[in-house]
Amino acid sequence: MTAVLAVLEQREGTLRSVSREVVTGSRHLAGPAGRVDSLVLAAGAVSGLDRLGDFGADAVLVRTHPAFERYAPESAAHVISQAASGNYDAVVLGATATGRDLGARVAAKLRVPLAADVTEVGSDDGSFVVGRPVYGGKAVQTLRVTARPAVISLRPSVFTPVEHPKAGTVDTAPAVGIADAGRVVVVDVKPARAGTLDVSEAAVVVSGGRGLKEPANFALIEELARAFGTTASVGASRAVVDAGWRPHAEQVGQTGKTVSPALYVAVGISGAVQHLAGMRSSKVIVAINQDREAPIFNVADYGIVGDLFEVVPALTAALTRLSR
Amino acid sequence: MKIAVCIKRVPDSEIRVAVAADGKSLDEAAVKFGLNPYDEFAVEEALRRREHAGAGEVVALSVGPAAVQETLRSVLAMGADRALLLQVAALPADAWIVARALADALAGEHCDLILFGKLAIDDYNQQVGPMVAELLGVPCVTAVSALDLEGEQAVAQREIEGGIEVCRFPLPAVLTVDKGLNEPRYPTLKGIMAAKRKPLEVRPVELPAGGIEVLGLRLPSPRRPGRIVEGPGAVAELVRLLREEAKVL
Amino acid sequence: MIPAQYQLPLPLDRLIQDAGTVGGGDRMEVDALIVGAGPSGLAAAISLARLARERGRELAIAVLEKAGALGEHSLSGAVVNPAPFRALFPGLADREFPFRAPVSRERVHFLTSRHALPLPTPPPMRNRGNYVASLCEIVRWLGAEAERLGVTVLTGFPAASLLVREHQVVGVRTAPLGLDRAGAPGSAYQAPNDLTAPVTALAEGTRGLLAQAYFEWQRVPSANPETFALGVKELWEVPRPLDAVIHTLGWPLAPEEFGGSFLYPLEPGLIALGFVAGLDAPRANFDVHDLLQRLKLHPYVRPRLEGGTLVEWGAKTIPEGGYHALRARRSGAGVLVLGDAAGFVDVPSLKGIHYAVQSGIFAARAMFDALEARDVSAERLAEYDRLVDQSFIRGDLYARRNIRLAFTRGLYRGGLAASAMIATRGRFPGTRIAVGADAAVPRRADHDLPMVPDGVLTFGKLDGVFKSGNATRDTIPAHLLVPRDVPAALAQFYAHLCPAGVYEALADGLRVNPANCVDCKATDVLGPRWTPREGGSGPRYRRM
Repeated sequence: MTAVLAVLEQREGTLRSVSREVVTGSRHLAGPAGRVDSLVLAAGAVSGLDRLGDFGADAVLVRTHPAFERYAPESAAHVISQAASGNYDAVVLGATATGRDLGARVAAKLRVPLAADVTEVGSDDGSFVVGRPVYGGKAVQTLRVTARPAVISLRPSVFTPVEHPKAGTVDTAPAVGIADAGRVVVVDVKPARAGTLDVSEAAVVVSGGRGLKEPANFALIEELARAFGTTASVGASRAVVDAGWRPHAEQVGQTGKTVSPALYVAVGISGAVQHLAGMRSSKVIVAINQDREAPIFNVADYGIVGDLFEVVPALTAALTRLSR
Repeated sequence: MKIAVCIKRVPDSEIRVAVAADGKSLDEAAVKFGLNPYDEFAVEEALRRREHAGAGEVVALSVGPAAVQETLRSVLAMGADRALLLQVAALPADAWIVARALADALAGEHCDLILFGKLAIDDYNQQVGPMVAELLGVPCVTAVSALDLEGEQAVAQREIEGGIEVCRFPLPAVLTVDKGLNEPRYPTLKGIMAAKRKPLEVRPVELPAGGIEVLGLRLPSPRRPGRIVEGPGAVAELVRLLREEAKVL
Repeated sequence: MIPAQYQLPLPLDRLIQDAGTVGGGDRMEVDALIVGAGPSGLAAAISLARLARERGRELAIAVLEKAGALGEHSLSGAVVNPAPFRALFPGLADREFPFRAPVSRERVHFLTSRHALPLPTPPPMRNRGNYVASLCEIVRWLGAEAERLGVTVLTGFPAASLLVREHQVVGVRTAPLGLDRAGAPGSAYQAPNDLTAPVTALAEGTRGLLAQAYFEWQRVPSANPETFALGVKELWEVPRPLDAVIHTLGWPLAPEEFGGSFLYPLEPGLIALGFVAGLDAPRANFDVHDLLQRLKLHPYVRPRLEGGTLVEWGAKTIPEGGYHALRARRSGAGVLVLGDAAGFVDVPSLKGIHYAVQSGIFAARAMFDALEARDVSAERLAEYDRLVDQSFIRGDLYARRNIRLAFTRGLYRGGLAASAMIATRGRFPGTRIAVGADAAVPRRADHDLPMVPDGVLTFGKLDGVFKSGNATRDTIPAHLLVPRDVPAALAQFYAHLCPAGVYEALADGLRVNPANCVDCKATDVLGPRWTPREGGSGPRYRRM
């Protein structure tokens, strides 16, 4: 029987949404008959644990310590590797900013590699077979993980949570074997401001064009970018940069400013070839434009033909509701 | 101050990916290789710290095939003092094996700082740095976008979803660095000339395959034709599609 | 409209700098300095390093190259005559050279808008014994050979001015790095470097900036002005192999325009496809990129590309003036001019690479003898001109001296005259056909036939720039010298002429996008002059 340890993430006592994806992915690996235990590290009580059973967790282990008030990389890696060692065939984490850091540490403590940022999981003849994007998403690599335990991090937003009811019993106990956070101490967490990210680095780019009619209306674009979260950034077409509405650093489409974010939202941009050349390698493209004939729709995966002054605020509101 | 920078030679990010005849690796015809862009920030940070300290040494290390010498030479041209290539025929897919080779080489160096780029743009593994730290028994902070050093103590910032974590840790330490930490320099003419005479040691190593085997490499499925959503429910439908079909939310 | 009326003069005050001034960056002194890591410069470096080695001399040889890496600014058809490669590497067999397949079959067609009429292959265009090749690959290979011989190849350092002492060239100053859009030093600024040497070889390639500056500064005459063609080239991965080297004449050019296309099989599944046309075409909306896109839709060409993928794109000018456009001397005190920069291209056979390599070999001999004699005077270095003039370089160009020029009278008259010239080995018509500079040819307005690229077979200019690998930072300062007031008709002329979309004609005038530039030099010939940008800017060709 395959046993999988699903390592979940909480912030300020609330389970992060990636956790259900991790439980779902773990259940894929364990198979219907296998065992999935979830492990949460926290300073105190955590809300949202009761529903984990619905997604396939046999048991939820909460290990508490005051050091887990914030992310404590060294102690967290210690507790997880102690729990995993000898007891599980696989350890699964979410490849969030924290999970990327923690997964490598856990794997190192277990003296095995990490199969990072995985988007496909399966098993073949008793071994784990996973798929993961490489070369900036231009190819997918298939790996067989023979190391035990197999340590795997899952790319967020890929594994849609699937209901698979299990007992989901919760066992809370103090974490043992650690005195404090360790040598690396998170002393502060500062809020990040949306829009500070360079367009070429952002995971989501929301770009505005001449369809916005005047510079002040770019507030709509900024609000939409904020609704997508901190990895979103504001971009602009060349027309509005040249008109002086937006700084040059935001311009997408000129040579040298080629962007390929996971999501590109073009608002009020007709899609001059100059612009298309700079963004067409984005993974998913959304176009919002009044003109059904606009070339941007030829490269868009999803389009809304409509008045951006109605569509954009509605989209911002919908996204804001979603993230709550 | 003694600083090690671990770098990787990677294919250019603009490449058009084609799969080699073996069905599991990149077809390297017409592919340009160079220094991993995040490693440039690591090299620059090492050079600045050495310059700020007024004394010390920057050692560049890499694991890879013979061609990596060219990449290490470019790091020497930027200003590193010497370089070491742990030469293998091909990098194993198992990063733990790579980390062990680097840690073995670093064990005798007694560096104050060991720097990596936060990720390599070819395999996105993001793990060799923390693994080297574990093997050497020193603290590690990943994806550092700001760094303050005061004697044996350091404070670093790293970006997480929705915020910036501020971490305190003692030296020596391993850091993996993110864009934004600095602006890398261009190699100077003098630097390029000097690099020709700087020591570049090539040490052949044998690495085991490890616990990960590459079964295949394939191109992602082609883009489907776009879809226009309309009507009063358009926004809700778009959000649903982005969530459930495109999976980007 | 005459383009020359709007062209700014060559900025000699910037291009010729007194050696007593200081660039502010590093200073480096070598024995021989070579500007440009193309076939001529690298052949010179290899040959010189070998001569030094054979005679037991230590020579510091440096090659400056503006591209970020070897070969990234090199583009040619190309079908290569291997003879000078054999001379340069006597120990190697042809199969050890970085060539692709030998030419086995070749075809020439005259195109009408619907048909392709087979023509007998004119004798100069026969390619038996020649090889299809990628110039990028040749350059990377030559560069590695040069470095193996101890030559210092400095990529990413464009030469921006000649350093001179009286009439003597004593080195070059490189372009600065890290300027912001306004031309002010940014945080990664690197001041110009000064490289000096007893002898400098200008091997900058087509329309070389410092070669132009030298000839103008020293008033070195030529019988005819140099004239140019522009070539736009694409690499296609195709499902069906191409079985022959193919050239076409005629459509989509008008009879008064000179040029044609080439299709070369680089690999069974990889075709090099290009269109080359003279920059003396009298149409104001003359657009070589557009001509290549139209050509791909021709029933003769289309089936050879269908189902394929555009993988690379590039553009470059070609000196076409031939014998009568050669300068009276290609050497002077402390300086030699090599390859394309000297105009060593034979249009009838569509070749220049082997002349470039051979001129490099000759330059190395002259440089070595001058360095041995500690005499780099104009008289001593004139040995280079003597070697060139006694060789097949001058011989070929002389025999075909009027062929390209005849086509200034149109395709049909030119074709007839050219046949007579070939048959008489150049004795007909004997005298020189005088031509003016390309920029002096008046351009007449013509109606546009707009073509919308389909993104499958045909592509826009910006798609091309994207496929050239150009990733120049877009905060680069303007490097093209544009006249102050540009009338709308002129703006449109530039926009059509430039294959990389650097110029856009807008309602309120001309917009310039310097980052798009792929250093083809087309507008340097007919309009805004080109100056170097920071090292590593421009295209990043892989297999052009």
